[in-house]
Amino acid sequence: MSDDIRPEDLEKRQDGRNIDSRLGVLAGEGAQQRVRGIDEANPSRDLLRTRPSQSGVNAESPSYYGQPAIKEPVWIWSIPLYFYVGGVAGAASVLGAAADIFGGKRMEGLGRRCRWVGTAGDIVSSGLLIYDLGRPERFLNMLRVFRPTSPMSVGSWVLVGSGAMNTASLLFAGRRGWLGRAGEGAAIAAGFLGLPLAGYTAVLIANTAVPVWQATRKSLPLLFMSSAMAGAASLLELLPHPRREERVLHLFGSVGKVGELLAGVAVQHEASRMEVLERPLKHGPSGTLWKAAKVCTAASLALGVWPGQRKWMKVAGALLGSAGALLTRFSVFRAGKASAADPQATFQPQRQGMGAAEVTGHTHASDGKPFKFPLPVLHEQPVLPRRGLSAAWHQESEQEPEPSSGPSP
Amino acid sequence: MGQKGFFTDTTLCIGCKACEVACKQWNQLPDDGFQFTGMSYDNSGHLGSSTWRHVAFVERPVPSPTQNTAGMAFSWLMASDVCKHCQRAGCLEACPTGAIIRTEFDTVYVQPDVCNGCGYCVTACPFGVIDRRQDDGRAWKCTLCYDRLGEDMTPACAKACPTASIQFGDVDELRERAHRRVEQLHDKGLDAAYLYGADAENQPGTGGLNAFFLLVDKPEVYNLPPDPVVPTMKGKDAWTSMGWGALGMAVVAIGAVLLGREVAR
Repeated sequence: MSDDIRPEDLEKRQDGRNIDSRLGVLAGEGAQQRVRGIDEANPSRDLLRTRPSQSGVNAESPSYYGQPAIKEPVWIWSIPLYFYVGGVAGAASVLGAAADIFGGKRMEGLGRRCRWVGTAGDIVSSGLLIYDLGRPERFLNMLRVFRPTSPMSVGSWVLVGSGAMNTASLLFAGRRGWLGRAGEGAAIAAGFLGLPLAGYTAVLIANTAVPVWQATRKSLPLLFMSSAMAGAASLLELLPHPRREERVLHLFGSVGKVGELLAGVAVQHEASRMEVLERPLKHGPSGTLWKAAKVCTAASLALGVWPGQRKWMKVAGALLGSAGALLTRFSVFRAGKASAADPQATFQPQRQGMGAAEVTGHTHASDGKPFKFPLPVLHEQPVLPRRGLSAAWHQESEQEPEPSSGPSP
Repeated sequence: MGQKGFFTDTTLCIGCKACEVACKQWNQLPDDGFQFTGMSYDNSGHLGSSTWRHVAFVERPVPSPTQNTAGMAFSWLMASDVCKHCQRAGCLEACPTGAIIRTEFDTVYVQPDVCNGCGYCVTACPFGVIDRRQDDGRAWKCTLCYDRLGEDMTPACAKACPTASIQFGDVDELRERAHRRVEQLHDKGLDAAYLYGADAENQPGTGGLNAFFLLVDKPEVYNLPPDPVVPTMKGKDAWTSMGWGALGMAVVAIGAVLLGREVAR
């Protein structure tokens, strides 16, 4: 177990393990935990700014000093960016396959461009995923097993399959003979795999304990898939392309943008079952991103149907469409982080029968109290954890009344 | 072998944190940095990648029949929290690498050499137990002292507990003992006592916990969810919705190509 820990490392280690390397070895279950800087080891601890005995333990909706009940997702910016890139790659593969099968000779160029976008997207996606992993050297472990209960496992196989098929179609599609036919087959297979590639990321985040994602599980996949269509069409419109493809891309993208707006309404409606669930879509940074995404998509749609198409309008429409698709993923991602940090977003929906009761039909919470008893809806903003002591002090000092230095009234 | 687990009787917990220390020492976990949370007398906050037992100090403005606080409307609850080793474990069902397995003792174990740090288990746990260590890149949680169980030893925390608040053994036997204890407490007048997560009937969302608790207030007070559910149970809705989305996308793609071809001609 401790193959990779050498005695000389042990002496350098000052990580609170209390092991004298001359007397003992690091062989415990947690001994492999790496510690680079002990001060930064677990920086999530923050000072509490409420008085413990008055933190609402006896209130109708108690919590443990306002601490989060579940862990915030550990993912960084590369994951929502992957949601976008993967979605674009998937939707482009689908459009490419459709152009290959139904487009005839005239749509050959569109098919090839879609395959290029799909292949590039698959490669960039893998890079983004590997960048997010804490230990990139183990990326291949993703393909150790296939686990149908895990959307991430399903998605890894879909991504790898799609990448392989898109690459094969690029390499072989122009050739003659059986190689060419295999390439055409690969393009169609990539199209089929593109469908789950564009949508599984929504299933992945819906299949978590994060309250807002879990609560919107029926509409999130529709949002992500229509947003993928909008994103793919907008990106393809930005690339140089012949005029005859314009209408295909415009149709594909416009339906995607309309779908994105409608699915956004559906997501908000699904979340509005409880105020704590809807809050991150309305307030804070995630709420701002959510609104910005809607504005960009709507503006892009309006530019697309505006009479008298000019060059700059097309470019602006495509740019706005891409921004809308990108912002949609980032806002959903940020909303999930905010809702995981709010303990009431976990507790209150479960009290109202939106936990296991929703799928198993039992009527009482674990303490024997019936579900759906009226809970007060909190209207104040949740106190999100702040990093560090100075931030906490700074905030408190801001709230203190200013000493009266000016002339008194 | 058999099903092994913990029964944590929080009415016996005195908040000494011997379990936290014993866990850290046996498993050779690094410390978390000596930072004062300012949160009651709790200095470790929550379960995490290197905190596998956590003693919650609940300071409530509610008097308790079993505590003498000189007439003040105030009482303490102590509870030692740990990974629940659910019958249906969110982390296990989410893990895409097969790093999280169910052992021969029916406990949930993370294989550190297989974990690739994707962090999906962190979001899949409805209790917020498992966490990815930032500088290490792997997810860690309580192993129920897998290495000790193999040698027929009691887990370090249960061994160190001076008040038998943490009891270790076969889950069936623990359940019986727990039910007797609840009755005993009810007889003494502590009507609020109940079991949290004892079996599938008690907590259908997880199929019952191998590490269950005796509590005397709402679960939320101890930072435990009142009706947790393994996310996979709700996953079907999302897959169905994605299926409809896929159908729509295919139709739109084909339609766009056909319409575009007509016009281009």
